[in-house]
Amino acid sequence: MQQQLINYISVELINEELDEELDIHDDLLGGGIIDSLGMMKLIGFIESEFKIQVPPEDLIIENFMTIMHITDYLKTKVIPSA
Amino acid sequence: MIYTLPHLIENSAKLFPDNEAFRFANQSLTYSEIEVKMNQLAKHLTASGVRKGDRVGVYMHRCLETAIAIYGIMKSGAAYVPLDPFAPQSRTLFVIQDCGIEHLVTTPTQTKKITKLTLQESGLKSIIGTTTELPSISSFSWEEIYAISLNEFKTVTILEDDLAYIIYTSGSTGTPKGIMHTHYSGLSYAKLSADMYGLTSEDKVGNHAPLHFDVSTFGYFSAPLAGATTVIVPDAHTKLPLSLAELMENERISVWYSVPLALVQLLIYGGLEKRNLNSLRWVLFAGEVFVTKYLKALMKCWPKAKFSNIYGPTEVNQCTFYHLETPPKSNEPIPIGEVWGNTEYRILDENDQEVSKEQPGSLVIRSSTMMKGYWNNEALTQKSLFKEIIAPGIERVFYRTGDLVRENEKGELLFLGRNDRQVKIRGYRIELDEIENTLVKHQEVEEAAVILVDNGNDDKQLMAVVLLNSESEIKNSDLITYCKSYLPHYAVPNKVHVLNAFPRTSSGKINRNKIKEILA
Repeated sequence: MQQQLINYISVELINEELDEELDIHDDLLGGGIIDSLGMMKLIGFIESEFKIQVPPEDLIIENFMTIMHITDYLKTKVIPSA
Repeated sequence: MIYTLPHLIENSAKLFPDNEAFRFANQSLTYSEIEVKMNQLAKHLTASGVRKGDRVGVYMHRCLETAIAIYGIMKSGAAYVPLDPFAPQSRTLFVIQDCGIEHLVTTPTQTKKITKLTLQESGLKSIIGTTTELPSISSFSWEEIYAISLNEFKTVTILEDDLAYIIYTSGSTGTPKGIMHTHYSGLSYAKLSADMYGLTSEDKVGNHAPLHFDVSTFGYFSAPLAGATTVIVPDAHTKLPLSLAELMENERISVWYSVPLALVQLLIYGGLEKRNLNSLRWVLFAGEVFVTKYLKALMKCWPKAKFSNIYGPTEVNQCTFYHLETPPKSNEPIPIGEVWGNTEYRILDENDQEVSKEQPGSLVIRSSTMMKGYWNNEALTQKSLFKEIIAPGIERVFYRTGDLVRENEKGELLFLGRNDRQVKIRGYRIELDEIENTLVKHQEVEEAAVILVDNGNDDKQLMAVVLLNSESEIKNSDLITYCKSYLPHYAVPNKVHVLNAFPRTSSGKINRNKIKEILA
């Protein structure tokens, strides 16, 4: 799950290429990695890739600050597959 | 006496030493603290060889250090030049070289980008605010700056006519142009705006704009004039309206200033019904047209706040205002209003003659808040000016805004669109803004952008892209039918595309060039 997110953000959303791989603790929102259009795209990606709905009330910093935050959030949403 | 921008900090440090000047997340700086840090940075810059009139770059996201950086730079006698950390490296390098920036003030979070930048032939000599060693460039950490002793600190003499800051904006030719403001023009803006909105030392001013967008001068200049607190909205909150509304409530914001987009997002996604924002007394917006149906809805959410539509290109800061105490009655666009103090205007036709009463024309502005000119581009500066000769050797200099306006019967100015947003198809003159205004009046359309796609051989097509509200099931063809009932046939878009999100510039405006690329 983390790797899928890293790949998508690194390939699709980032403004310019990074020298090193995106870290799961990098600040995505405050550090200039994702802009507001990127945020919308990321939510679309999460919804289709992990087959979940991200309701508007979940769109808060605590859920989307870093890849770590996103995966913690997704764990509360995704039903573990067998 | 206050006649330069650093005097704002010094004056409030005397009157309100323990008031918070700037807040960001859980950090804050009082006026007495920022005065010390500003002087420490100024002393360091002077010791590094920065002289009066030099340009020093500020390369940061929204953070507390932005305030220390701009005041420290101005105190050293230099002009600050904000660099957008979201901009492509080529553009950043262009600005650094265009105005000869040798010193850059930054924060450790930008280290990766700075390191890449310094690998290029940039002319940079030192970086302030990073802990990383850089090859062939000296670097200093903020800790080193804050350890500087202010014994024997000599203040550089600055006059009100000296350069204070340069803001780069996209030029229509594709090359960014640097708009030069002096301590005089910046301070004129601070005084006029602090006065108009009655800022006091009790106010909490919400600053949403990044430094490279001139709306930020309200939070960074006008609030310190009054000894108020400026709350710098973190980048993360600008992307998540629910978190932004929470921050506004927690910080008890009393005066808010942003682009309309941020307010529309708060209205639609901010969960405002759960928030107590009774502390808000003024909501200011500028930069784009606020779609009236959303303005009405937001004013109903915040009935205690007064709203103010602000208009003014970066070249003149603010120049007109239109206050609203109750929601507008119709869905027609609201006026940009009347010019404020120390400002006059003319409305000119194609031959620079004043238009007759209530006729549309180009707006030119003369004001104490006007820029000094474009950096290193005297030809462009001259082209942007309209000069009225009163007597031999005496002239009044106006700035050509490039905006089409009309005065209504009440003497209020109505914004009709950009001069360059007027297109011609098969001989018909079409205002692209008029088509956009029509589309957004539709119940289910949240935002619209209309562009002209020129396929050559006289094959020009009007393309509309729209953002629909989440419940909408309207078809593209229905929107075209809708346009046909409100617009002349030649102004009806040939195609309507539905997007999930619009590409934006870093100041939040719709990026029409990107939309062209998407449609191409």
